[in-house]
Parts: sequence; structure tokens; C-alpha cells
Amino acid sequence: MPRRLRLGIGSLLYVGVAVAFSYAPARAQSGIPRTPDGRPDLSGIWQAFGTANDNLLPHSASKDVPAGLGVVEGGEIPYRPEALARRQENFANRATRDTEAHCYLPGVPRITYMGFPFQIVQMPDATTILYEYVHAVRHIYTNGTPHPPGPIEWWMGDSRGRWEGDTLVVDVVHFTPNTWFDRTGNYHSEALHVVERYTLMDPNTIAYEATIEDPQVFTRPWTLRMLLYRRVEPNVALLDYDCYAFEWEKYYPYPGL
Amino acid sequence: MDQTRKTIGGIAVALVALSALVAAQAGAPDARSVRVGVEARRPDGQPDMQGTWRPILGGTHSLDPAKSGASDFQERITGVVKINPSRVVDPPDGHIPYQPWAAELRRKLEAEYENPTRPEHIDSQTRCIVDVPRLYYFPTFRILQPPGQVVFVWDEYHAFRVVPLDGRPRLGANIKLWMGDARGRWEGNTLVVETTNLKAKSRLDVVGDFFTDNARIVERFIFVDPKSLTYEATITDEKVFTRPWTLRVEHRRMPDEEFWEWACHEGERDAAHSSTGINGNTGQK
Repeated sequence: MPRRLRLGIGSLLYVGVAVAFSYAPARAQSGIPRTPDGRPDLSGIWQAFGTANDNLLPHSASKDVPAGLGVVEGGEIPYRPEALARRQENFANRATRDTEAHCYLPGVPRITYMGFPFQIVQMPDATTILYEYVHAVRHIYTNGTPHPPGPIEWWMGDSRGRWEGDTLVVDVVHFTPNTWFDRTGNYHSEALHVVERYTLMDPNTIAYEATIEDPQVFTRPWTLRMLLYRRVEPNVALLDYDCYAFEWEKYYPYPGL
Repeated sequence: MDQTRKTIGGIAVALVALSALVAAQAGAPDARSVRVGVEARRPDGQPDMQGTWRPILGGTHSLDPAKSGASDFQERITGVVKINPSRVVDPPDGHIPYQPWAAELRRKLEAEYENPTRPEHIDSQTRCIVDVPRLYYFPTFRILQPPGQVVFVWDEYHAFRVVPLDGRPRLGANIKLWMGDARGRWEGNTLVVETTNLKAKSRLDVVGDFFTDNARIVERFIFVDPKSLTYEATITDEKVFTRPWTLRVEHRRMPDEEFWEWACHEGERDAAHSSTGINGNTGQK
């Protein structure tokens, strides 16, 4: 059908444009894909690489964990003295206390650097992010609506976005106190407030940063930064990682099959 | 085959004929969109069906007859039994054409679901995973149409499904996914989706209708008008059924409301409780 043909050619052109750019300039610039309304087009499948989920801070290698330079600005997380004790307790009990061990929704910003691909579907009124990890979904409303009044405790928080120039700025509040920032027990309270910034640096790279504010746990806001890379392999697609169902897969298929 | 089905079949045939006509006249106005009242197009040419949809008669208690958990509960309290038609529209008798061994297993599963004695007696929805086609007969979903794709998003179970329209090659046969591997195409205002690579470790309803990972599903999302969607899924699985069979669910467009978080596994305790005593399960998470 002609419609399918047009789609095919459109996709080819898009891939062609994407492949033509191969270097990352220092800041947002003009040679990036844009939506019909002129915004940078973040649509596509992206992935963070590195060891942020293992440990946000600079760390040596350990079993199954590569060494990492760390992603936190300044290399330290400014805990209040009383909160630091809880963080150390978390670390000691990380095998059972980390919600990742239970395959729970990992919260924001951790979902970004769980190490699994995610797909951004950008529309004028909302940007939806589909995550391969436990099929989490975020709807980031960009239609000027405010957060609903709290108190609300959501695993992934409530996300409201706005454009500051070519940067998508996402304000996230209404969290549960249950999620951590990484596997070493870095944590927050329900007062967590996250501001994420997504800036397309070139067609295949997003500069991502998240500023963390939680006066119950930290003495000041702090920021983590990393790059998100477009998955450019042919036919790349989200698969699934429904880890909470791994255990019960052994019960199925039904006996007799 | 009932009258509605004949009518829809007739429309489908007409649409196929028309699409051939339109194919021969590239760039000509698309008469189909006027005919069925769907005129808006996405920038990439897809019929614009973005928005929020919901089954008119939802429920996953059983397919045959169509029954929701709520209506099952009401029946037990009031003693008044209201029999809806089966969701199965083909075969015409409304019954899923199980092979004898599968019919026997299906009967056992129905007998066991309330008092499970084995882990596999517990319905998959209780364990917070719902997949294709079950997601199309109870919760509200949203359709997004980025270029070259149709994306379905459900707030319940935070499920999503991406259907590429670019005819890309199939995934390797060993990759089994809860949502399967879907390939879509538009035939006029009907989205046709062919799905393989299904994990199929779940159920079609609470009472135990099932298929295996050998199943293929062909779905037809027939956008009858801007507010009406007829969903049909034809399921083929030679391991379980004597022939392909088709279920149908009518949907209507809903107001676009915000989707708020609907976590399931994070607070899920029912499966653990209901399986207390099964194979040494203590009921502890």
C-alpha cells in the first residue's frame, strides 16, 4: 500500500539523518531532530551505560561490578548526620532492603540508569516513557498542568514537564519513601523532589541530569549527570524484563503441555 | 456468523477493495475516511486514533459467557444469574474449540481457581501480569501513534505494547515475551496486528482459558467511527485448539483523563495469601 511505502521511506530518511551525525558537541545545537512544533524530538529508544545503579559515587571494582567514576557532581552526597547512619544501615542490609531485590518500581531517577533500554514517545501535551525494566511507564504532562495536590505516595512520582529553550525540564514529586537511588543504600524520604533535565546534544545523545532535593535527608540539593545513548542498531526494540514473574515462570506452562 | 459479523465482514471486504483502488491512485482523496467518518490523519499518514478507549462490557472472569469479576460477585450475593453472550464469535456456537485433553484441563482449572492447590492454579492477573489479548477486555487504554508505530498504554498494570508498522523482521523464535512480538499494518481504518513469540504463561480469563507459546494471534482493530472500536482477535494454536477461533470486544472512546500510577506487584499480597499451603509456600512475601 502507498501508505506503508511512504512510512518506509520516511523511516529510512530519519535513520539516514541520524547516522550522518557522529560527534557530540558540548551543548544543545541546531542539528538535532525536531517535532512539527519545533521542540527537540527526544523520541526513540535510549539507554544509560555505566555503573550508576551499582553505586552513584566513585568506586573500585568488586565482584560483578566494574569500577566507576561516579555520576554525582562533586563526588559526594550531602547527607544530614542522622541520615547517614540510616544509609550505612541500608548498605549492611542491601540484599533484602533494596526494593530492586523485590522487582518493585525503582522510582526516579533510578529507572533511568537501571541499565535497560527505554522508549520516549513525545507528543505535544505529554511525553510518555516506556521502560523495559518491569514495564514501568511514566506520563510526563507538558500541557502546563500542575502536580495534583498531595499527599500522594507513588513509586514513580508525579511528573510535570516544561521546555526551557531546548531542554525538557521535568519536575517530579509525590514519592514513596521506599525506593533507593542505587544498590548501596543511598535513599530519600517521601519529601523527595527531583528535577530532571533532558537535553539533546546531537541526534544520538541526550545529556541527562537530575537534581535531588530532600531536606529530611540531605543538607542541600545535589545533582547527578550522565549521558543517554540512542540505540541505533537496526530493528532495535524494547523486549521485557518482568523480574517479579521469573519465580513463578517455573509453575507454567500448565501440566500436561 | 451473525448479522453484525457479516456487516463488518462486508465493510472489511469493501475496505480492502477500496484500498486497492486508492493504491492505484496515489494521492487521491481517501474515500474510506469519509465513508466511516474517520478523517484525521497522523503526520505519517496513519488514521488518527489517538486517545483513550475502554471496553463497553469489560471483565475477565470468563470469556464464555462474557463475565466480569464484579458481576460474578453480584451473582453470588443476589442469586440472580444474568448470562451475557460469549465473547467468542467464531465458532458460531460461542465456545472455544479445545482439543479433548485441553478441554479437560480447562475444566480442572475452573474447578480449582477458588481453592488453589498448586501454584499454577492461581490466575496470572492475581500475580500482576496481564497480556495480550486479555488487556483488551477490561481496562482503559490509550493509543499513541508516533511515526511508524502504534503504542498501547494501560494505566492498570502499567502495561504497554509497541506495534511497529515498518514490516521489520521477526524476533528470533527463542525470544518469548509477555506481549509477544507484534507487527502491524493499516488496512483502511482497520489496524491489523499479527503477534507471535508469546510467552503464554498466563491465562485468557480467571476461570482458566489458555493457550501455549505456540499460539499466533491476528488482531483487527476496526475503527468504525471516531468513537467506536471493534476489537477482534483470532487465536491459532494447533497444540490446544481444533481450529482457529475469534473473540470480539466492542470499545468506545473515553474522555482523555490523566493516567495516574497504578502499581500492582508492589502492594500485591493476594497471590501469596491465596497460595498459602501450596508446595510449602508460607504466604510470606
